[in-house]
Amino acid sequence: MVDVELSHPPFTFLDEEGRERVRSGIDLAYFDRDEIILDAGQPGEYVFLIHKGEVAELDPTLPGSQSHIGHYTAGDLFGAISILNGTSRYRFRAEQECLCYLLPKGLFKQICKAYPAFAEFFRQRLAQKTRLLTERRAEGGVTMAGFMLAGVSECMRAPLVVEATTSIAEAVHTLNDSHADSLLVQGEHGPGMVTKTDLLNALVLKGLPQESQVQAVAHFELVTATAEQYLFEVLVQMTRFKVERVVVMEQDRPCGVVELTDVLSYFSSRSYVVSLQVEQANSLEALAAASRRTPELVSALMAQGVKLRFAMGLLAALNGRIINKAWGFLIDERYHRDSCLIVMGSEGRGEQILKTDQDNGLILADDLEWPDCHDQMQRLTETLIELGYPPCPGNIMVSNPEWVGTETQWRARIAHWAASRDGESLMRLAIMLDAHAVAGNPALLERLREELFERCSRDEILLSYFARTALRFSTPLTLFGSLKKPQHGVDIKKGGIFPIVHGVRTLALERRITATSTLDRLEALVADGRLDERFAEDLGEALSLFTELRLRQRLARRDDPESKGGEPDRVVVQELSSLERDLLREALHIVKEFKQRLSHRFHLEYS
Amino acid sequence: MLRVLRRAADRRRQAHGDYGWLFSPYTGDEMVAIDCVTTGPDARQAELVSLAAVRLRGDRVLTSDSLDLRLARPASLSGDSICFHGLRGVDLVDGAGVDEALRQFLDFVGNRPLIGWALDADLAILNRYLRPRVGFDLPNACIDVAQAYHRQLRRSHPELDVRPRFEDVAERLGVPVMGRNTALGDAVTTALIHLRLSRSPLQVERFC
Repeated sequence: MVDVELSHPPFTFLDEEGRERVRSGIDLAYFDRDEIILDAGQPGEYVFLIHKGEVAELDPTLPGSQSHIGHYTAGDLFGAISILNGTSRYRFRAEQECLCYLLPKGLFKQICKAYPAFAEFFRQRLAQKTRLLTERRAEGGVTMAGFMLAGVSECMRAPLVVEATTSIAEAVHTLNDSHADSLLVQGEHGPGMVTKTDLLNALVLKGLPQESQVQAVAHFELVTATAEQYLFEVLVQMTRFKVERVVVMEQDRPCGVVELTDVLSYFSSRSYVVSLQVEQANSLEALAAASRRTPELVSALMAQGVKLRFAMGLLAALNGRIINKAWGFLIDERYHRDSCLIVMGSEGRGEQILKTDQDNGLILADDLEWPDCHDQMQRLTETLIELGYPPCPGNIMVSNPEWVGTETQWRARIAHWAASRDGESLMRLAIMLDAHAVAGNPALLERLREELFERCSRDEILLSYFARTALRFSTPLTLFGSLKKPQHGVDIKKGGIFPIVHGVRTLALERRITATSTLDRLEALVADGRLDERFAEDLGEALSLFTELRLRQRLARRDDPESKGGEPDRVVVQELSSLERDLLREALHIVKEFKQRLSHRFHLEYS
Repeated sequence: MLRVLRRAADRRRQAHGDYGWLFSPYTGDEMVAIDCVTTGPDARQAELVSLAAVRLRGDRVLTSDSLDLRLARPASLSGDSICFHGLRGVDLVDGAGVDEALRQFLDFVGNRPLIGWALDADLAILNRYLRPRVGFDLPNACIDVAQAYHRQLRRSHPELDVRPRFEDVAERLGVPVMGRNTALGDAVTTALIHLRLSRSPLQVERFC
């Protein structure tokens, strides 16, 4: 009998007798560094429980760096799935000298039989593993299931129908106005289709005048489908008939068009469809419908393994367009040139991952006359709430007159904040630094930003007050570099994201860098020579990791209505895989180092 | 020399006895790590309290199939030794008789090579028990892990002259100490130390 720690899952599913059977049934084995413990294709004979050392799980079919798919350290189990499957799918190699307990196959199966909860644990792991595997396969594309099950109605555009007597010139205008590539022509014997290419050919190759009617160039033999069909059937038809558009018919009337580009982008990501909806929206309702789809877009992109940085960029662009459109619908055009709607905080940095609070403000030109400005702004805020942007708890919104002002008023505010240096003012300065223009005249914001730099970037005392905020929350690492409080989780926003974002913001202020996204700021700081490239890269990677962990937490919460509320920023260390735990620890170390550098640069050692 | 002569004599006498097979050379790939717990440090008087053996095959320590014997309470079980190994009189109430224990032990060990920590002391006691009963000393090949460790250490650090301590060595080699001062725990730890020593050469980072 051997002492072995059996107080972790899955052994907690056993009673004392079961644990005793495990204890008396296990052997011990030593593995040298780089020794292959279990090779792909080998039958699984043991469940391995690592007492000491580290084991890598490798997929030998993948080249070099991609082959590393799992990492196990002391206390972790592997090999059980190989027993359940018959043979091992992967190769397990000792990364260090390893001491493992071996639970023989026979005993493992007996225990699985005697304790269903124990067996269930491994079956779940198997299911999870399989799911991960399919997701991995789907990298760069979409899961086959999603492909097979998508229906035509999910990917169809409303048809643009014109009279047969419409002129080519009018048709071109209609196409441009509605961002479309094709038109349906109402003919005598049913609809026909005109594409941009048809119109070009008619004008250039056939030399038809602009006034000629579109029915002369339209095709009336259409490939059709119904809205209930599967999308892949449409794709098959497109391939068979060598066309790029299929008309969706309902009771002999066209109710939509499916374009090849839409089908392909639907399967590669839904981003194109959502951005298209935003562009095509010509009413607030349509805009709200498009806006509601953005979270779905983020999870789809994440599932496909799109780098978070690009997903955030895309979302920032989409949110910008949505707000811009809402502005366009609500605000009279004559004010557009002399006012500037800005978004601030995470929205301004382009780093929000799901829809976040509104943080916005309005800059007006000094000589602008706008009597009902306040009412208009109130409406804008309400509209944005309807579009899915929750109100800002700190009331940093255009509906609040404090965040609306003429250029002169804004300058006075900035001067006041910079002079008073209290917590509230510093926060406002920080928010303002991240401001980004989404609608109106961006030059107004640029002039204010210059003012901000002028007031702050040379003021060493202000900078040091400003930087101190980044050190406000301690990094959740112990003196010896391991994670603090594993059972309660780590507040990833305070411990990781905030110090990086704010520290980089401070450096950017010092160096008068106009970029607002943290990653762009890091790049600019490297170009400026303020940070060395390696460290900036590390910081960027650490930030991406934190954001990703936080996003996953939030997406999971969104799908699971029971855990709503709670603490979305708290990452429970035990729920991470050992590889992620390593990464998290590594990232927190980088944060710690960054804080040390900040405190050195801004002389915060004694404050 | 004396040991060699004695073994030759034992072998001749036992050739046709029950235990003759113990004297034939071992051809398998297993070894056995053993450990005894006794009532005291003096091999001439100490009495056996418990006895354990675990087999090694290749890089595996077959703890699932090990021998762990507690003997009936010996006469000299005293307060001091109870403190040392933690086995009280009551723990040994249902212990095995010495004859039965030795028979099980010989069957388990067979003619496999023996591994132990400071093996000579254990052998001396075992032989003291064995000779009057079966008429021979253990004839197995022996590996003393303490000596092997010392030899390796001296090869890289000739100036060192320290008697290695069991726990220190285990810690240095990254081997878990399993149930210290129980016979089976020490036998398993000894087996692991042996595996570790025979696999990768020792790297001395700090003295012990």
